[in-house]
Amino acid sequence: MTTPTTTRPTGTTSTEALAVDVRALGRTFGTGDAATTVISDLDLAVPAGQFVALLGASGCGKSTLLRVLAGLDAGVTGDVTVARNRAVAFQAPRLLPWKKVWRNVVLGVPGATRETALAALREVRLEHRADAWPTTLSGGEAQRASLARALVRQPDLLLLDEPFGALDALTRLTAQELVRELWHAHRPAVVLVTHDVDEALLLADRVLVMAHGRIEHDVAVTGDREHGSAGYVEQRLRLLGWLGVHDGEGAA
Amino acid sequence: MTVTARHPAPASAPVPATATAAGAAATVEAPGLVVEQLSGSTDRRRRIRVPRSVARLSGVVVVLAVWQLVAVTGRLPRTFLGSPVDVARAAGHLIADGELPAAIGASLQRVGVGLVLGLAAGIVLALVSGLSRIGEDLVDAPVQMLRTVPFAGLVPLLIIWLGVGETPKIVLIALGVTFPVYINLSAGIRQVDPGLVEAGRTLGLSRLGLVRHVVAGAALPQLLVGVRIALGVSWLALVFAEQISATSGIGYLMTSAQELLQTDTIVVCLVVYALLGLLADLIVRILERVLLPWRRSFTPDDVQGGTR
Repeated sequence: MTTPTTTRPTGTTSTEALAVDVRALGRTFGTGDAATTVISDLDLAVPAGQFVALLGASGCGKSTLLRVLAGLDAGVTGDVTVARNRAVAFQAPRLLPWKKVWRNVVLGVPGATRETALAALREVRLEHRADAWPTTLSGGEAQRASLARALVRQPDLLLLDEPFGALDALTRLTAQELVRELWHAHRPAVVLVTHDVDEALLLADRVLVMAHGRIEHDVAVTGDREHGSAGYVEQRLRLLGWLGVHDGEGAA
Repeated sequence: MTVTARHPAPASAPVPATATAAGAAATVEAPGLVVEQLSGSTDRRRRIRVPRSVARLSGVVVVLAVWQLVAVTGRLPRTFLGSPVDVARAAGHLIADGELPAAIGASLQRVGVGLVLGLAAGIVLALVSGLSRIGEDLVDAPVQMLRTVPFAGLVPLLIIWLGVGETPKIVLIALGVTFPVYINLSAGIRQVDPGLVEAGRTLGLSRLGLVRHVVAGAALPQLLVGVRIALGVSWLALVFAEQISATSGIGYLMTSAQELLQTDTIVVCLVVYALLGLLADLIVRILERVLLPWRRSFTPDDVQGGTR
């Protein structure tokens, strides 16, 4: 039993740069008869710079896994090693309403100045809202501010918990495009929790499908990810099948 | 199926087709469809508008006039209640000879010291109880228990313990202030959004940093609610405190006026209490504006002004 934030003790075989190294992870909520096992005996390795999408139906344990990787859940069994320099963007932007946008962005970054914040905000095209109060932001703007807050830490591991779930369809497309762009520019390892197959295929190198507290499928996204192309449709159908969806939606 | 939603209808709004077809130009009822004009230029009833402030003031003027009238006709003996003119005259005298300013000064000093002590005690207790489980267990139950005791009932005990000087007066005010501050601040601390605390942790904030940046910001509005209530309570406590054989202050002025049946002076003192209470309220409002600027973004000024 180790806490999620500790790095793996030296002496074991030196793994080549892994942003996430999870072995035999277990998480059980409650005790005795009321105990529910959400994650059991899960292994996961994510190399530095890889973009991983974590798919699964509601309640499969994917958000719990993300919280474990973020270091927010100490009640786990197994070994969890993650990059120390990591950042999280949650489904809700979780900005502090009493701090202006730029102060939210650099909160907790030692020695950060307004310039630091502005640079990060520029990257998410929100520089003009630096002095706004978070309550005045639109949903998309708030989510971008939350991304800037994650980026400013120059993370080696970026954890995204359904960050586009609450956005409208158009705003979501822009936000996905932005995440892709930012990933190309900074190359952190990314773990994106989502239940959107299209989003996973659009953004990720590798898709994990979780069910019953385990990773049931682990596939690389290959070749053509152009929406509607043959390769795309095939991968999409396969993922949907694993998720238990078997309707004839493949032509979409 | 003509659905004509006539919203901001221009002057020449098209009449629903079915209505003209039926030959009834005035009616807007299509078969199975009743429309309603929500805005646009129809005969709006014109009303003479009296400014709100004038309307509100006139009520006060009427009360004062009736009071004065009753006094002048001799139905209201001066020893029972002085007329508004008497009151104004008494106020003039009290201000001119410096008696009233001195009394206000003495009272303000009591309230000020009592407030500062009470605020400090309330804040410290709330922090201890709100920020740690042990603190909550140790502090919350006793404070909640003591809270149910009406603080004014403590006067006899305070006199026995502390005599009749300044100390029991200040302690009474401080006690009255402590509880509303404690209750509101500790509730505010407990209501902090756990999602924000979690976000703060992922941002690398220490425990102190979380308290400073997350908890403080979240609990501040509730603290100010507590301060506002506390200010109200402090005036009430002052009235009680100054009944304890005071030799200065507004309460002293009232007690000596009572002995001489100077009802006008007593009314002046009551008015002063009220005005000081208003002033305190104003100060909290200003504090809220200065300390919670982020709240203004979703509390338009016109809404605030309209709900007095």
